[in-house]
Amino acid sequence: MCLAIPMRITAIDGFNARCEAKGVFRDVSLFMMQDEPPAIGDFVMVHVGYAIQKMTEAEARSTWELLDQVLEETPN
Amino acid sequence: MNTESEARQWLERIRALGIDRPVRLMNVCGGHERSITQAGLRGALPANVELIPGPGCPVCVCPEEDVYQAIRLALDEKVTLVAFGDMLRVPVNVPKGEVRSLVEAQATGADVRPIASPTEARRVALEHPDRQVVFFAAGFETTTAPVAAMIAEGIPDNLSILLSGRLTWPAVAMLLDSETPGFDCLVAPGHVSTVMGPEEWQFVIDRHGLPTAVAGFTPESLLAAFYSVLRQLQSGERFLDNCYREVAHAGGNATARRLLDATLDVVDANWRGIGVIPRSGYALKPAHAGADARLRFPDHTDPDRRRAGQMPPGCDCARVVLGRLYPNQCRLYGSACTPRTPVGPCMVSDEGACRIWWAGGVREAAPVAVTDPI
Repeated sequence: MCLAIPMRITAIDGFNARCEAKGVFRDVSLFMMQDEPPAIGDFVMVHVGYAIQKMTEAEARSTWELLDQVLEETPN
Repeated sequence: MNTESEARQWLERIRALGIDRPVRLMNVCGGHERSITQAGLRGALPANVELIPGPGCPVCVCPEEDVYQAIRLALDEKVTLVAFGDMLRVPVNVPKGEVRSLVEAQATGADVRPIASPTEARRVALEHPDRQVVFFAAGFETTTAPVAAMIAEGIPDNLSILLSGRLTWPAVAMLLDSETPGFDCLVAPGHVSTVMGPEEWQFVIDRHGLPTAVAGFTPESLLAAFYSVLRQLQSGERFLDNCYREVAHAGGNATARRLLDATLDVVDANWRGIGVIPRSGYALKPAHAGADARLRFPDHTDPDRRRAGQMPPGCDCARVVLGRLYPNQCRLYGSACTPRTPVGPCMVSDEGACRIWWAGGVREAAPVAVTDPI
């Protein structure tokens, strides 16, 4: 449940953002980012559908690598 | 430098410290435990450095009575019950033949749906304005903050929340205040710190003098945190280190903290199999009482129900959660209890230490008596 995934913002409409991670698109809420509003192209850490913090592209990529490994090694 | 050589370098630094006595590092996050297990970090560290999974699984400590109430709401009140997927398979203590999990309730025709986000709970309620929708929300701060955001943003009248939100630090404080904390250093959770701020863990140093470092989820970040706390232990120096600086910023996420404060109160709360921990849970503020499923529907919990609130018979989840036992020291691990037929919540949840160890390939029981403390 605490697994958070870095995503890149591709579009913003109010508090809703369209985000992408490795070709997968999701709607993400920016409601918790009001003190530091992100922009299109920014990377955010997404947890249960909400962006919880901005991050750099390099950090996003190292987390994606880790998630790939975890998913490969987890049965089912 | 690539990540693999960075990890190797941290391991070399850890070895070079020459730790000459047993040291126990506790993590309190299912995500940490998963990375540790999947990357095989336990085997890579010096043999006298133990990594103990502690209270890092909100599903595991969600009160059995709350799961029972959710099942009864779905069956007796005929609500649409939505919950994070992990909660659906957690069994409650009822006689054989009775519905013992939300997924079993679903199989008998109840409207139970797994969701991945509070925004989905709102969507389900908007799509079915003629139905009562209850969001059974268990989680630590990282998950409860989005629930607070959903409440603050405004929810449809037919949506209510059965909240089982918990704070992580009070469980660590309870362990540290006990006679046998069971660990020498703390690896603090990365995403709880992202939301609440790393400072939440300063008390571990100030009040208890234990080396503490916030870690992220890559092996490099975890190894950096292990190195930090071990070096602190060797040098006698104490400071709250942050090895997840890129995401866990000082002060946390200001919006998230404000939303939590605006919508929820911090209250004494029950942890399954452990008991009440002071100021360790969240409850809806009176201003949002209208969205509280505990007030909207009758209380179906029955204190006279056999084993109400307890872990299942023979299940050692409570001691696994507290880091008193390793998962494979439970007598049910891998025999009566597997991910296919889980008995305790630690084998159900993706964040439960038992399930993580099983997925990581640990198949055999530990060669020690269950009564041996770690």
